Amino acid sequence: MEDKIMNILRVVLENNSLDTTCSQENCETWDSMHNLNLCFELEGEFDIMFEPEEMAAMKSYLDVVNIVKSKLSNNS
Amino acid sequence: MIFVFRNNTIEQFLGTGYQFAGYDDVSQVPDADAYLWWYQVPLRLSQSQLVEEVKSYPQKLQFVANRIEKTFYIFLLVQHYFSSVETGNGELSEAIDGFNSYVRELARSHTNVKVIEFGEFTCQFKVEELIDWRYFFTAQIPYNPQLIRPFKNWWIRKQEEVKLIRKKCLVLDLDNTLWGGVLGEDGINGISLSGDYPGKVFHYWQEGLKDLQSNGVMLAVCSKNNATDVEEVWLKRDDMVLKKADFVAVRINWQDKATNLKELASELNIGLDSFVFVDDNPAERELIKQVLPMVSVPDFPTQPYGLPLLFQKLVQMFFGIYAITSEDRDKTKQYAMNAQRVKAQYAFENYEDFLRSLDIRLKIEHINDITIVRAAQMTQKTNQFNLTTKRYTEDDILKIISEGGMAWTLSVEDKFGDSGITGLLIITANGVIDTMLMSCRVLGKGIEDAFVNYVLNDIKNSGLSVIYGQYIPTTKNTQVKGFWTKMGFSLIGTRNNGISTYVMDLNSARLKVKDYYKIN
Repeated sequence: MEDKIMNILRVVLENNSLDTTCSQENCETWDSMHNLNLCFELEGEFDIMFEPEEMAAMKSYLDVVNIVKSKLSNNS
Repeated sequence: MIFVFRNNTIEQFLGTGYQFAGYDDVSQVPDADAYLWWYQVPLRLSQSQLVEEVKSYPQKLQFVANRIEKTFYIFLLVQHYFSSVETGNGELSEAIDGFNSYVRELARSHTNVKVIEFGEFTCQFKVEELIDWRYFFTAQIPYNPQLIRPFKNWWIRKQEEVKLIRKKCLVLDLDNTLWGGVLGEDGINGISLSGDYPGKVFHYWQEGLKDLQSNGVMLAVCSKNNATDVEEVWLKRDDMVLKKADFVAVRINWQDKATNLKELASELNIGLDSFVFVDDNPAERELIKQVLPMVSVPDFPTQPYGLPLLFQKLVQMFFGIYAITSEDRDKTKQYAMNAQRVKAQYAFENYEDFLRSLDIRLKIEHINDITIVRAAQMTQKTNQFNLTTKRYTEDDILKIISEGGMAWTLSVEDKFGDSGITGLLIITANGVIDTMLMSCRVLGKGIEDAFVNYVLNDIKNSGLSVIYGQYIPTTKNTQVKGFWTKMGFSLIGTRNNGISTYVMDLNSARLKVKDYYKIN
């Protein structure tokens, strides 16, 4: 799952050198528009729906992993 | 680059190649290749606010439209939900209608303005599929991001329509595609073409297809059937909406459909990527998808009542066009002369009466300096009704004649027009029919029989008594495989390479020419 998330991040943010430390702070392309694209790519990939609060809270790779994980565990 | 006027976040729906004005900002009209106006009725709940807002759009649009000379796509407004408390109060609908009629008016006075019926896209979805309120409230995205892909496909198609790009030819199967049932099993009167279900569906479907045809789409039939049975359907079933004359080409044979399609493409002189293939048989569709991937092959409904949806899909995905040009309409007219002939056929009880009424005049003459040019050309171009498919130059033909051979050309005229030189027969000095070909334009009227018998009579009078016929098979001339037998020749033998040789003794042959052909 982490691999899939990293892949989506790299594609959406158009940056192949991103690693697990990336965040809105250190990644130039990660603006609000790209954050949205990231949200609906993730929703499509994992078949989940984020709450608006969760979308706003995705500020780093680690945030994304945690939020997606919690969504998936709620589903099952 | 297309510059976009908008009142919501729609960047994701358009992607690269677009630049966006600020929300509801009409102050700037920067230089661009084209312009797009895509406003939504605001997703607000208070009716009175909405009405005022929508009423302001025509003026804003007018303001930018006056400064745009290049292509300007304007999306019509669509009302997605109704929230008026006073249900008899149609103010919002009226404001929306007002904007939409203003756009149409604008398009009439400005040819660069193209009206885009956005409702054609939105009507495919339920409101809850269309609007994802989470994304609206977090990012002012008016439509569900899940719809980005279908939207993009639809929008590409819309722009093609404006640029007058579309598919050209729709190839249709017959059994369970144009009518219900299987002609070979259910018979002429057993197939469903009108009346109760399922006949009614096929009737509506054919009416729709007829509409495509009159709007410049070429229709063709490709069916595994007995040609004579199908002819009978056209003669006897008045409820068959699509007449033979509505089709630019009819392929009723047992040959595989990929080959038929390839032949159609060269005959009509259009690329295979301009074809759409509709067939109820999944195996036939799969064959075309595999062998001819450039041909569009939509799915076929499993039940007849699914046909209206298929029809809408055909229009939306393949044959829709922003405006019909006069060339489009003329394209179908090119075939009008042939079509008239076929139509005349319906007025007669039997085919011979029909032929008699055509007033067919054949001109059969020995080849000369003038006709040899066309004769050589025909050997190069004729594929289907060509017994030997030998390709000759003028010199090649002259050589055969100088060695004692003979050649005849055939011209055909009937009351609808003159087809010019459309047949050629070459015989060598030792009595072998080296070439026998006819242009497809004149087939189906028994002219080939008259031509051959007339020529054979001519030969008989010149002293030859034994004549040999040849059939050299190619991928395109299977329709003439049995020709010599039909003409009364006897098969001598067939070699391994498929070449068959036939013989006829002219002294004992009956070389009758029907009296309704006037010759020379």
